[in-house]
Amino acid sequence: MKTQIPPSPEPPVEIPRYWRTLGEREETPEARKAAHDEFLPGAVDVADLPAPSEFSRRGFLGLMGGAAALAATVACDRKGQGTIVPYTRRPVEVIPGVANYYASARQEGRRAYSVLVKTREGRPIHITGNDEHPGFKGKTSPRTIADIMGLYDADRLRAPKAEGRPLAWAEADSRMTAALAGAKAAGKPVLLITGAVASPSRKALFADLKAALPTLEHLAWEPVRGDGAAEGARAVFGTDVEVAPRLEKAKVVLSLGADFLSGEDPEALAAFGAKRRLSEPGQATNRLWVLEGPLSITGSNADQRFPVRPSRIAAVAFALAKALQSRGLGLPAGADLSAVPAGVPQGVDIPAEAWKNLVNDLASARREALVLCGAEMSAEAHQAAHLLNAMLGSQALELRAAEPLATVKDLDAAMQGMAAGRYAAVLLWDVNPAYAFPRAQAWKDALAKVPFRAWMGLAEDETAAQCQLLLPVNHWLESWNDFGSGELFILQQPAIGALYDTRQGEDVLLAALKGLGAAVPADYHAYLKARWQKEVYPAGSPVAFERYFEVALHDGLVKDGKAAPAPVFKGATLAAAAKQALAAQGGDLELVLVPGFATHDGRYANNGWLMETPDPVTKMTWDNPLLLSVADARRLKLNDGDLATLTVDGTTLRVPVVLQPGQAKGVVTLALGYGRTTGEMAAGKGVNAFPLMALDPAAPNLRSGVQVAAAGGSKPLSRTQAHHRLDGREIVQSWSLAEYAQEARDRKKGPELVTLYPDQEFPQHKWGMVIDLAACVGCSGCMVGCQSENNVAVVGPEQVTRGREMHWIRLDSYYEGDVDNPKVVHQPMLCQHCDDAPCENVCPVNATNHSPEGLNQMVYNRCVGTRYCANNCPYKVRRFNFLEYTADKVEPESLIYNPEVTVRPRGVMEKCTFCVQRIEDGKIRAKGEDRPLQDGEITPACAVSCPSDAIVFGDLKDPNSKVSQLVKANRSFKVLEELGVKPAITYLADLKNPAIEGGQHEL
Amino acid sequence: MSSDAAIRTGAIPERLLEPPLTEGVVTPGSLDDQVLAFPDLRPPKQWYIGLAITLTALVIGFSFIGYTIATGIGVWGNNSPVFWAFDIINFVFWVGIGHAGTLISAILFLFRKRWRNAIARFAEAMTIFAVMCAGIFPLIHVGRPWLAFWLFPYPNQRGVWTNFRSPLLWDVFAVSTYFSVSLMFWFLGLVPDIASMRDRTTSKVRKTIYTVLSLGWRGAASHWQHYEKAYLLLAGLATGLVLSVHSVVSFDFATSVVPGWHMTIFPPYFVAGAIFAGFSMVVIVLVVVRETMQLKNLITMRHLDVMNKVILGMSCLMGYSYMMEGFTAWYSMNEYLHHTFMNIISGTYGWAGWLTISCNIFIPQLLWFKKCRTSYFWMIFVALAVTVGMWFERFVIIVISLHQDYLPSAWRIYKPTMVDFGVLLGSFGLFFTLVLLFARVLPVIATTEVKAILPGAQPSHHGDDHE
Repeated sequence: MKTQIPPSPEPPVEIPRYWRTLGEREETPEARKAAHDEFLPGAVDVADLPAPSEFSRRGFLGLMGGAAALAATVACDRKGQGTIVPYTRRPVEVIPGVANYYASARQEGRRAYSVLVKTREGRPIHITGNDEHPGFKGKTSPRTIADIMGLYDADRLRAPKAEGRPLAWAEADSRMTAALAGAKAAGKPVLLITGAVASPSRKALFADLKAALPTLEHLAWEPVRGDGAAEGARAVFGTDVEVAPRLEKAKVVLSLGADFLSGEDPEALAAFGAKRRLSEPGQATNRLWVLEGPLSITGSNADQRFPVRPSRIAAVAFALAKALQSRGLGLPAGADLSAVPAGVPQGVDIPAEAWKNLVNDLASARREALVLCGAEMSAEAHQAAHLLNAMLGSQALELRAAEPLATVKDLDAAMQGMAAGRYAAVLLWDVNPAYAFPRAQAWKDALAKVPFRAWMGLAEDETAAQCQLLLPVNHWLESWNDFGSGELFILQQPAIGALYDTRQGEDVLLAALKGLGAAVPADYHAYLKARWQKEVYPAGSPVAFERYFEVALHDGLVKDGKAAPAPVFKGATLAAAAKQALAAQGGDLELVLVPGFATHDGRYANNGWLMETPDPVTKMTWDNPLLLSVADARRLKLNDGDLATLTVDGTTLRVPVVLQPGQAKGVVTLALGYGRTTGEMAAGKGVNAFPLMALDPAAPNLRSGVQVAAAGGSKPLSRTQAHHRLDGREIVQSWSLAEYAQEARDRKKGPELVTLYPDQEFPQHKWGMVIDLAACVGCSGCMVGCQSENNVAVVGPEQVTRGREMHWIRLDSYYEGDVDNPKVVHQPMLCQHCDDAPCENVCPVNATNHSPEGLNQMVYNRCVGTRYCANNCPYKVRRFNFLEYTADKVEPESLIYNPEVTVRPRGVMEKCTFCVQRIEDGKIRAKGEDRPLQDGEITPACAVSCPSDAIVFGDLKDPNSKVSQLVKANRSFKVLEELGVKPAITYLADLKNPAIEGGQHEL
Repeated sequence: MSSDAAIRTGAIPERLLEPPLTEGVVTPGSLDDQVLAFPDLRPPKQWYIGLAITLTALVIGFSFIGYTIATGIGVWGNNSPVFWAFDIINFVFWVGIGHAGTLISAILFLFRKRWRNAIARFAEAMTIFAVMCAGIFPLIHVGRPWLAFWLFPYPNQRGVWTNFRSPLLWDVFAVSTYFSVSLMFWFLGLVPDIASMRDRTTSKVRKTIYTVLSLGWRGAASHWQHYEKAYLLLAGLATGLVLSVHSVVSFDFATSVVPGWHMTIFPPYFVAGAIFAGFSMVVIVLVVVRETMQLKNLITMRHLDVMNKVILGMSCLMGYSYMMEGFTAWYSMNEYLHHTFMNIISGTYGWAGWLTISCNIFIPQLLWFKKCRTSYFWMIFVALAVTVGMWFERFVIIVISLHQDYLPSAWRIYKPTMVDFGVLLGSFGLFFTLVLLFARVLPVIATTEVKAILPGAQPSHHGDDHE
């Protein structure tokens, strides 16, 4: 929010007048003249020269000075000059120029992320994970980092609205109360649909509401959380469960279409990365088996991956259970696998040898093995996965009973209820069924029959268009809440006051409760605190509650919660599930609907940072193409960018096609969350795939009997990387463990590179970076973190298509081997800060040069934009502002900028700075505290945002720094070292741990 | 009979005698009437039509340039990794075109090739205009054209000096030196002719202008003495520039690390290419001028024949260079260079590679035949092919090398936009507009120089020797 100038309340103060002589006090003419003449009597202007009639020397100089000052002021006028106003009364804790960090939390689905919010002068500008959280350890997901953009979304609804005109909250409240009271009086049901409930306080509030309004029906709905998972869990546990992998305890991990390394789960990534960062060949690591249809991020990191059609995943899982049973692992009580034949199921292309290895791996790892099943997989597959984990007795898994989620079936029932006129009122809070429900039109028609329809959300969406009363709610950065995850409570606190005339959603419900006559606290903050005092605050604690709560807010979490009992596995339904799994067929082509990497279920489709972050596998931005296996595409005569029609059950979509190596034959993939019709950024990007979802809760994301045909024509793909072949170039190193052992033993050093120039000298520091490709999974968290930290511009799909994206760090992925199932390596690529940088000597105006600390610096002000540096950069990491990408940004969008980083205008080159602002900040801090810089004190945004800690930054001059140690590692290599540019970034070779023929298992 | 004796007796075989450089009866007076009268005549209708066409192209091109400056380089097709495309292609192309003029007027002057006298003026004018066209591109291609003056090293309050290690800075010096020397050289040659026109013209306005431009030339012997000395000196100066300018331009590429650019053959290869393209452009324009301005007796078929021989020679040099590029790619065992070379002959832009090779190497081989060298159709065909081919050669060097360099992840296809073509059209518009205006207001043939090579103009003993 703009700082308002406070009105000056007091009248102008009379300045006291002082006097030197009595004459002055009495203001005699002589005294007045004496006071006017600066010089004492006797002093003359210029020695004895007669004063010119009008111009004295002093007068002349005065005029000249004035004129010069005027000329200078006029000449200094700059375009876009604004008024800056200092704080007249500085808010407590805010020091201009110094960032404040607040712990808060954010929810996505059932998951709550404990975060630190960086604020500058009251504006949240950057998000990282909360380093006090035992699991996240300062890490978070790409979507969490990017969600700060939702706060400053220009499309946010700024005041309550009804019938297209703004409304006061009081009126909105009274309308809501009237509708609810009416329903209560008439005994008619009221339907409340929200997202997943992860907050105990919110849950308590719902209970209070239910008590005050007995006819309330509540559905917690997450359209892409996987109904199959819910159905499967209910079948074997009798309750919904949340599966939390504990990869640090796993030696063997089997993913059945589970994309658990997608970046959504920073804990999993951290554990995975820790297991893969080997410094010696013999060290303990893990092995990741992936059986999946589409190539996922997890699949791209697999040690052994086999493309399997999702319709057959359940059969594979049951066959594995059978095989484990034959290896002597006991079946849980009630489970019966007699109908399952032994061996690889029909229609699954896994070689017998590999199958043997997989069974061996699982059977020998036992408690240290873990099976994860993808949310999109069928209920039977989930049952089988739970069975496998139960058989293995896996300790690498935490199962928690969870609040139930509504499935498509529940939504369908609610829709039929609405159509039948069952409901008196509907409240839709942070859900968008008019977009995300498969039968959107039927939904809209049914909703129209409900007399009172209220919508609560951030920005008007497809559903808002169907509602009468629109109530804008606070962004999570403006809200209070708590989340409980196991033994830990996480607190959410606002990092900024509400930007607009909005309310927290819970406050809307509290107002409704009050209207219904319940005695409730004034606001949700008070409600939350009251509940905490009662439920969480340990009785008899020596600390006063206020202090206790303050500390909890500061830390963002409280650790002494109570652990919930793990749900008990029951095997009764398994025989039927196995039968169904064996019979399941996908037909000629089957479709998997996956959540969009950027959009998730569509709620982030208006987030430019996320939309422009390339999908880690397809490298597509802003669009959801249909992914086809290369073989299927050849058969259908389709090529990259060709338009195709996708027909499922009578619904036809026209989509561009991308050929995805590694995609299972007979499987096509389409991402959900695109094709929104509202939102400035979101509208018209891609197609909406929700209408293709099935209404069968066992597997709504899997469709069989899909038809794909060429539609004629093509669409330019907004894709950031189209070449994934290395053509024998040694740009990345990826070794198996055996190769690693060999390389560590007898790795040849390349010839020494000679140069005509003297070596650069670095008197104090020499910044460098090490990137461990074995730990990097390609989640793209670094890209989003960098974008947020460095004000990297969003350019839009058309510019990306033309090859003008601005990311300072990008993730290159390279494929090797079989096109049906390639080996994939991800490589973060950013400015290498070469000591002999080829970009530096070609700049005619010295706009890019080398700092005495080894940074390749870019001076934006000096750059005229010849682009020669970018041509001469072998890594192509320089980004040019081909057009004006930033000047049109006004509040609120411009509030997101990091004030420490210049916003670049058009015509200027830019690139990674190693977060020079953070380096300087660290140096200043150390100097202020009169101590040397400590290793690890300075971390660039990419390193902070890397959940698997693949990026290490530090001073190469310090022989004890982590980065200096890693540079010497036996996996280190530099990209294009032979050019002699002396890059400051060292990569560590990727490692794969495939099962070795003959049954040896180095684990 | 020894050859000395043959010379002495004047019995030189017919075939060894240099044929006259003009056709028909040309006297100094008739030459003046023929050449210097143009500016005083009403231009023919064709001239107006031509000017209308070139001005249209010029206006279109400059509107696109205005659009570019107002909006940004993004209106062009340039992308990452092809940060340079039409902008630098056009720059190198036009600088190259200019080289023919300097070669003809300076180097051939020093070599006493008397046939150059009739065409030197026009070729030099083309040099000036081509360098003007070329000069546009470095200015408009930068991201912030209003700051392009930062490329000049001059004392400034910003306390920042230019980077003398950058080949782009060398370009600034090379091209600006080239332009100023060429302009001086051209103007110096014009002075006696302008003086003649001053004396001939009846229009008061023209007389005033010509008077100023002729710098008080009276044709005195002392004038001639100084004139000849200055001309010789400038010719010597310009000779070095013929070789240096395009060498420096080639350094933009040769000193970089881009595979396909980083090659030692570039300087001579670029100079040869420049002369090649320049001569072709001169042939095209000369044929038009010769026909429309009735100058057949002064610019004879022999001139064109010799020009075509130079083109043929340069084509062979280009062929050698192309083969050396392939050889280097193979012999260096550098996989990146190898990949770039394979892209030229078989990649996405393989068509451009083959177009270049065909236009620059195969088609000019027609000029081995005298029939083709002396036929308008064939020589224009070859010259147009070479012009197209040489433009595409720069396309091949710049776009093909850039679009796939080191990291496959960064590879991208480049597609020009309408604005790219518009600006290219505009540069042709500017060039031919200037050519047309020049033909109207200044003598297209250096009459003083041609007078020196008219039959009988040379000092002679009419067969007798000094004995």
